[in-house]
Amino acid sequence: MKTWQRIKKDPKLLKTYFVREKVIQTIRKFFKKEGFHEVFTPIMVPVPSIEPNLEVFETELRTSKGVRKRAFLISSPEYAHKKLLSAGVGNLFEITRSFRNEEEVSRLHSPEFSVLEWYRVNADYMDIMQDFEDLFLKIVGKEKLRYQGEVYDLKKPWPRITFKEAFKKYAHKAIEDIKDEDFYKTLFNEVEPEILKTKRPIFLYDYPISQASLARPKKQDPGFAERFEVFVAGVELGNCFSELTDWKLQHERFRKDLALRKSQGKTDFPIDEDFIEALKEGMPASSGIAVGIDRLVMLAADAPTVSDTIFFPDNELFDL
Amino acid sequence: MISVNAGNITKGMYLIFKDKPHLVTKTEFMSPGKGSAVMRVKYKSVETGAAIEFTYKTNEQVEVADVEKREMEFLYRSGDEIVFMNSKTYDQANIPMSLIEDQVGFLIPNLKCWVLWYKDAAIGVSLPPNVTLKVIESPNEVAGNRINAPKKLVKVETGMEVMVPIFIKTGEKVLIDTTTKEYLGRVK
Repeated sequence: MKTWQRIKKDPKLLKTYFVREKVIQTIRKFFKKEGFHEVFTPIMVPVPSIEPNLEVFETELRTSKGVRKRAFLISSPEYAHKKLLSAGVGNLFEITRSFRNEEEVSRLHSPEFSVLEWYRVNADYMDIMQDFEDLFLKIVGKEKLRYQGEVYDLKKPWPRITFKEAFKKYAHKAIEDIKDEDFYKTLFNEVEPEILKTKRPIFLYDYPISQASLARPKKQDPGFAERFEVFVAGVELGNCFSELTDWKLQHERFRKDLALRKSQGKTDFPIDEDFIEALKEGMPASSGIAVGIDRLVMLAADAPTVSDTIFFPDNELFDL
Repeated sequence: MISVNAGNITKGMYLIFKDKPHLVTKTEFMSPGKGSAVMRVKYKSVETGAAIEFTYKTNEQVEVADVEKREMEFLYRSGDEIVFMNSKTYDQANIPMSLIEDQVGFLIPNLKCWVLWYKDAAIGVSLPPNVTLKVIESPNEVAGNRINAPKKLVKVETGMEVMVPIFIKTGEKVLIDTTTKEYLGRVK
């Protein structure tokens, strides 16, 4: 039976699905009050984000005159946002959709998903942590989150732990001694399971520079990058960077990532030179975060999986 | 040593984890947006039956357990063990039920299958792709569901429950896929 049929049979189910509407409303209200601009950027683009491990959805744009162009669904709206920051839009946010192909469809993952991104100018990742705490508390509406029979204490400030501290505490290893190829093994098998167990939300921050992605190196300690992930109730909700504005460094990371994509047989596409151009023209110091809205809604609705909050989940639509 | 790329690990493989043979019971491929692609694997120890989870980077090499196959027939169930016999030598093999839970529902007397051995211990069984089973219990009236293919749950001779089309009646024989438990057809 499809979701719409189940709802028709049992209208009480609607309560869970309507949580999304409230969450979106709360997000808009929160950022409007903070003076952010809501922006609208394309989900179909000529060049997608360069993620070494993500596969993209590709299509083709054809005009009536026979012009053919490669076109992709975004895996993240981040490049467009940074171009707007360069343009001088100032603090901004967007609620949009993103797409990832060749992924496991699971409790927390679906190929099409809703994402919230916000950027603060003249701010760093510590400011975004505070934004996140405040926004999450507004969404839940109280200082306790009840989720799947457990209670999570949301009182501010939430615990913050660096990678260095976490690796020492949970894996009993000095992070400097861990080889790059063992980093994720230790993170996923020794550190993350402990982080996911806590009954408090937690910010895991200061990634080793090898995992910097689009984050800038720490000034005092360039072996680490100003990046964090936030976890609530065993769910990773967001990934934040103090944004890298050095175009040369960014270009170099992109080249490495593209080479990695190629070596893994992923779809090949060029670097978004327009994005590099935007960095060249000067992007203000900013910090931004991407948050999975479906996961936020899942927690707020006390639903076991993200699909339980979506009227037309991919697994049902495509019979996965 | 034979090894497999962690990205290609699939359910049902026998791999060496912490120097011991383990059966893969579940895999989950994950590529975090800004991170490395990983494969989360659920294992069951073929020695103790204990379940454990481990996460690999997809490009890591994982050692494959050197498992040997021998053709045997299913004999009977004895407590928590399943007994097989080599029909030529009459050698017997006992496999703990906990290691072949997913396959027990297909074991009909004298079914020929491959018993898997690791260092002289029988640790599992590889079944033929499909098995014919007799339906012993079936609900007569099932409310018609016009949207999805109309199916119902029936019990077969081994006690296992499978989904079959609603026209199947008690006493009929059905061909079932041993990997997916899917109905493949009616056997006359």
